[in-house]
Amino acid sequence: MGMLKDEDKKYLTEQFEEKMVDPVPILLFSQKLECEYCQPTEQILTELAELSDKLTLDIRNLQIESADAKEFEIDKVPAIILLRDDKDQGIRFFGIPSGYEFSSLLAAILDVSAGTNDIPDDLRAKIAAIDKPVDIKVFVTPTCPYCPGAVRAAHKIAMLNPDHIRGQMIETTEFPHLANKYAVYGVPKTVINENVQFEGTMPDQAVVEHVLAALSSRD
Amino acid sequence: MDFSFSVSGTPEVDLKDSYDVVIIGAGPAGLTAAIYASRAQLSTLVVNKGVAGGLAASTEWIENYPGFPEGVSGAELGRAMQAQAQRFGAEIFNGEPETLDIASHPKRIKLSGKDITTRAVIIATGTTPKKLNVPGEAELTGRGVSYCATCDGPFFKDKQIVVVGAGSSGVQESIFLAKFAAKITIVEFLPTIQAEKILVERFEKTGKGAFILNHELLGIEGADKVAGVRIRERSSGSERLLSCDGVFLYVGLAPQTAPFADAVGLDKWGYIEVDSSQRTSIEGVWAAGDVTAGATRQIAAAVGAGATAAIEAEHYLSSKS
Repeated sequence: MGMLKDEDKKYLTEQFEEKMVDPVPILLFSQKLECEYCQPTEQILTELAELSDKLTLDIRNLQIESADAKEFEIDKVPAIILLRDDKDQGIRFFGIPSGYEFSSLLAAILDVSAGTNDIPDDLRAKIAAIDKPVDIKVFVTPTCPYCPGAVRAAHKIAMLNPDHIRGQMIETTEFPHLANKYAVYGVPKTVINENVQFEGTMPDQAVVEHVLAALSSRD
Repeated sequence: MDFSFSVSGTPEVDLKDSYDVVIIGAGPAGLTAAIYASRAQLSTLVVNKGVAGGLAASTEWIENYPGFPEGVSGAELGRAMQAQAQRFGAEIFNGEPETLDIASHPKRIKLSGKDITTRAVIIATGTTPKKLNVPGEAELTGRGVSYCATCDGPFFKDKQIVVVGAGSSGVQESIFLAKFAAKITIVEFLPTIQAEKILVERFEKTGKGAFILNHELLGIEGADKVAGVRIRERSSGSERLLSCDGVFLYVGLAPQTAPFADAVGLDKWGYIEVDSSQRTSIEGVWAAGDVTAGATRQIAAAVGAGATAAIEAEHYLSSKS
């Protein structure tokens, strides 16, 4: 039996038909052994990719294709990357995008397909001007209804300057060592460049300000 | 392993310059209003922060909403209500109003940098969990203090949890937390348990629960994460420290009226006052659901109020055109 319900497949097929503009190749890094969530992630993405001609799924093995993994800065699996014209959009999902995070994935696919998102022009200029590396980690659990808001903000910011910015969703229960390292006891929690962090969901503008603060405090 | 996949993410909408009705909030009241308004062929925009379903969406399982004999997950119910509203053409905008003038005619709202106008507004912003403002609470939020069991429960596997508040929310969420935690102690200010009996029985059946009644929470202790709570027995005044790894607070709800507080009439607790037609003190503005005074905070009631608000708004608009 499939993981996606028939009614959801029908709804998503219509959404993709109506809203997808350009193709979105999905790149999944996975492995066969010692990865509890890799196989289910492969399955859900396979089912998803079947719903539109504009979606393709390319599954690579973290160990065997380690050069690719290095190129995309992938050090843990499952890891999902969305591409546009073969170009990295700065968007990462580490861990299975289940529960509410599935909606984050769907939204990111539609944004990448459209090649834009709803961040207002004044913020776009600030994001585009960033010329140093920015790494935005957003820790989530799949049962957290507030988390997709924080993940969306990170992904939207990253895709406007993918040469410098990474927006990562991290499914906390799958990576307990990271939960420990970053002292995550509540979600969503956002950590920017290891030096700025905040809890909860904030408007896009406030997240951009935190990104700029992370850059200036490092100088 | 059992996975679910929520498809309720709201795709970006191309905002029009004007709408017949703008509904603020996409919980059960707001989405029901959207179903009625859009089905009445009014151009309808729902402005929502977060996920469809509102507070109901963070309830794991809902058993008292009619039509679901086995119960329904809050997330699924929210998704279904949103899909129903979208089917009739309601647009859903994900975000918050940047500015809002609901007293003017037409009413003006700024969303994502764009100014739009609307002839009617329905406020359905609901409530947010109340804070107790005891020492340690703000400092340790996200470090063991939480207001959302479904969000943060997984971090407390085999740990000791204190839940503050023995109302239905506190006990219901404790049943969910029992999936993860080793032990859950519910601390209640009053000498009695306020929760529905069916929930108390289910909580006791988990074999992981205990109640401490008639105790006041004085503070939450811990250096960089929660280590325990200090509580006081209210009749004897004796204090003690209860060690724990997590504290979940279910001590009531506060209305989310910040953007409207200066404009519409509120009761002394800050809820929006409405008449039997869900009308507020401002012409062309209705309110529905948990944000209104006297709400029973039930999904079934919010749905009814949302329907009334939309029907009344439709009558108002047709009388004006």
